[in-house]
Amino acid sequence: MVSLEQLKEHQTVRTDPVPESQALVDVRQLSLWYGTKQALYDISVRFPKNQVTAIIGPSGCGKSTLLRSLNRMNDLVPGVRVKGEVLYEGVNIYDPRVDPVAVRRHIGMVFQKPNPFPKTIFENVAFGLRLMGVKGSELEDRVVEALKRAALWEEVKDRFKKESGLRLSGGQQQRLCIARAIAVEPPLLLMDEPTSALDPIATQAIEDLILELKERYTVVIVTHNMQQAARVSDRTLFMHLGVLVEEGPTEVIFTKPKHPYTEAYITGRFG
Amino acid sequence: MEILKQRPSRHPVERLTLLVLLLLSSVTLLTTLGVILSLLGDVVQFFRRVPLAEFLFAPEWTPLFAEPRYGIAPLLAGTFLVTAIALFVAVPLGLALAVYVSEYLPSDKRARVLGVLELFGGIPTVVFGYFALLFVTPLLQKVIPGLSLFNPLSAGLVMGFAILPYVSNVAADAMQSVPRSIREAAYALGARPYEVALKVVLPAALSGVIAAIILAASRAIGETMIVAIAAGQRPTLTLDPRETIATMTSYIVQAATGDQPVGSTAYYALFAVGFTLFLLTLALNVLAQYIVERYRERYE
Amino acid sequence: MNRTPTPEAFGQDPWKARIDRVFARALVLPLLLALGLLALLLGDTLYRSVSVQVVRADMGPGHTYPFGLSAETILRQELLAQGYTEEEAAFMLQDPKERNALFLQNRVELMWNTHEGPFRYVVTNVYDERVADFSLAEGLRRWNELKANLQEGERLVLNPWLDQTFLTRPPSRSPLTAGIGVAIWGTVWVLSLALFFAIPVGIGTAILLEEYLREGRLSRILEVNLRNLAGVPSIVYGLLGLALFVRGMGLGPSVLAAALTLGLLGIPVIVVTAREALRAVPDSLRLAAFALGATQRQVVFRVVVPAALPGMVTGVILSAARLIGEAAPLLLVGAAAYVPFAPTGPLSQYTVIPVQIYLWISQNQPEFARVAAAGILVMLLLLSALYLMALYLRNRFRREW
Repeated sequence: MVSLEQLKEHQTVRTDPVPESQALVDVRQLSLWYGTKQALYDISVRFPKNQVTAIIGPSGCGKSTLLRSLNRMNDLVPGVRVKGEVLYEGVNIYDPRVDPVAVRRHIGMVFQKPNPFPKTIFENVAFGLRLMGVKGSELEDRVVEALKRAALWEEVKDRFKKESGLRLSGGQQQRLCIARAIAVEPPLLLMDEPTSALDPIATQAIEDLILELKERYTVVIVTHNMQQAARVSDRTLFMHLGVLVEEGPTEVIFTKPKHPYTEAYITGRFG
Repeated sequence: MEILKQRPSRHPVERLTLLVLLLLSSVTLLTTLGVILSLLGDVVQFFRRVPLAEFLFAPEWTPLFAEPRYGIAPLLAGTFLVTAIALFVAVPLGLALAVYVSEYLPSDKRARVLGVLELFGGIPTVVFGYFALLFVTPLLQKVIPGLSLFNPLSAGLVMGFAILPYVSNVAADAMQSVPRSIREAAYALGARPYEVALKVVLPAALSGVIAAIILAASRAIGETMIVAIAAGQRPTLTLDPRETIATMTSYIVQAATGDQPVGSTAYYALFAVGFTLFLLTLALNVLAQYIVERYRERYE
Repeated sequence: MNRTPTPEAFGQDPWKARIDRVFARALVLPLLLALGLLALLLGDTLYRSVSVQVVRADMGPGHTYPFGLSAETILRQELLAQGYTEEEAAFMLQDPKERNALFLQNRVELMWNTHEGPFRYVVTNVYDERVADFSLAEGLRRWNELKANLQEGERLVLNPWLDQTFLTRPPSRSPLTAGIGVAIWGTVWVLSLALFFAIPVGIGTAILLEEYLREGRLSRILEVNLRNLAGVPSIVYGLLGLALFVRGMGLGPSVLAAALTLGLLGIPVIVVTAREALRAVPDSLRLAAFALGATQRQVVFRVVVPAALPGMVTGVILSAARLIGEAAPLLLVGAAAYVPFAPTGPLSQYTVIPVQIYLWISQNQPEFARVAAAGILVMLLLLSALYLMALYLRNRFRREW
């Protein structure tokens, strides 16, 4: 079995590292504590623009924590402490002058379980736009645009102003949440196991959608489904016990992993 | 677990146990029946003597006058007035408290603050009545000229605090049942805490919040001692909060503490008022339950 | 969007950030307001329960007596000062009937301060006459002036209305000698009988609903009915009691009629708390008992109910606390009458603490407001004791399943 001490001695194994010029997000030596418990150890990694990066690893490895530190959602947890930097287009989002709420407006997030607001489909998508002060016909246009991009428009176009988001099926709800997240045109979209609560057909639809979305957005997706990571991502990060063990192009991670732990996880020997 | 409630066996002791439990719980049903029947019998007596039209439309309630009139309107007006003033205090304060407790306090403090608020509900209402009559009224009289010693204003204001926990704690419960994931979604979209509370949580908990307000209204209508002490016992058809009035409950107290001979119209009038009160509060409670059941959001 | 790499690039929204801060702070206000009102209420009651008085003695010189003497010694000296001979005084204190009447008519009370010095006893007669009654602040400010102007037979006292004798004395038409003793006994009688009726019904119903009935029509009817009963104003229970128990069953204005009325009022609360306690018992316990071959009854009464007992007891205490303060329904079933003696049985006349307080508040003499304040303090102390007991039980027997 792998111990934390053993892991911490290793440097992250990197294949074809992302050059700084292509990175939308640049995480530099990020460590994070919940109270006294350390959840992330000295993580450095770059997320390239307009690509899908998957984060994999056994449960409790810190992959959701890393994702949530990219848009400062961790700030909502009492007693959280962060060291290091997360540069977003060159700006450290943990700079004391940065308003965490403003950061979240630039970064969309989709959660494990679909979590639409108990409002109409329209109001769900309009929520972020309204927060930014978008009104009138522009609001309407952008809601429709987001629903189209989330591949939900055809299914809801005749009822989206009346029907509650909660009345949609699970897969539709998740696409609604994606529409809600991309309506404000965030350059970066974070997805936290977005298909873990969905059936295979709905999962397929979301995966297709992710591949389309990367044309316009940079996507970081946490998943414990390795096939999904292999199918949708360009690069993959493998984490274990809060340490970034290995990162590189997805085909390298899945076919020729360099680190023995990565190989053990990929081949299903632990996790 | 539903499956653990197996059918009791045919063993006589088992059956006897069930029988005893059924008998005991039948008391609760008999109570309802008793309330309705005991009231109804005397209500029927009342309406044999007083036409329904007079009860509903006469503008005066003067059972003890030489020429008694039995119009419920003044009592209803008094009840409405006090209740409205109480809600005017309890609803904004209670909702603000609910938002604060549910959205701004960490969970360990939440239980403690709700417990303190419950203390308000635990204070006997005689105490609130005493406070209204001897502390609040003299204070208000300095500000508001023409305020009677007994007035619905101070009774209503103080009652607002007495029913505060019914608004705040029930509404906070409703807000707490809004799943965390929905709050997270709003935060992820860049909402600020106040926007999450007002634009997401409060609307999501709306049916529960409305039910809380209706329940509080029902409490205020049935509240007796505060009004009996501080609002007075003189039925007046007015909506002026400075004048002495009587509510349905305070009239019942007045009539019961004076000695009405059994069988007199005034005695039966007691039950006619009581029955009206019963129907009104029952209707509000049923309405609150209906709203909760009907509009409850089914979250995944 | 065009961004330059500075921290401000994410955009600032000072207005919304400010609204957020103001909102978070403003939300504390209602809580402070509520707590402030609570403090004001308690403070006002405490303040009113103390006053500075000038009293003219009905007979005798209006002496005060030093701290440490027994009530009997004080009464003897008072009798002598009123002009009785040694023999007469001795007789009045020995003969049981005379002695009883003497103690009912005279109240031996320890005053915090008197014109003859602090902490001295005074003997208050029913016929004593109040000359003046001042609030604490005014009375203390004018203490010397009042003391200088005392007439023959008058005394100046700082009267704590709530003292030991207040707890034991019967009501009186003079505020100076009124006590809450009879009402305390009435509350004890009515409350214990009410719980005696309500506990079996309430807990039985809870057990039936939680452990026996599957979801179906009967459980639905019982639940809806209970929810509606909980919403019926307590004064309506009073009308039920008046029609059914006082008149219908011919119990008259008795302890029993009051107890039955309050009992019915308490049932919904007991059911709710008992159900919560039963629900907190994990199913693994039931499964384990069933696996050992226990019957339904054995599972419920030997495993589940004992496990839920602390929670149930807490619930009963809380419902008792609610019933203690109920005045409205009891006004209709006879508590409003003037009752000079504590109940001796279920058919005795009675009054209870909150009703006694209500009657004092309704009196015209302003000093009765002070008596009422003392009564309120007694009731609140009693309630605090019950709440603390419930809190203790809840923490003491809290289990992590």
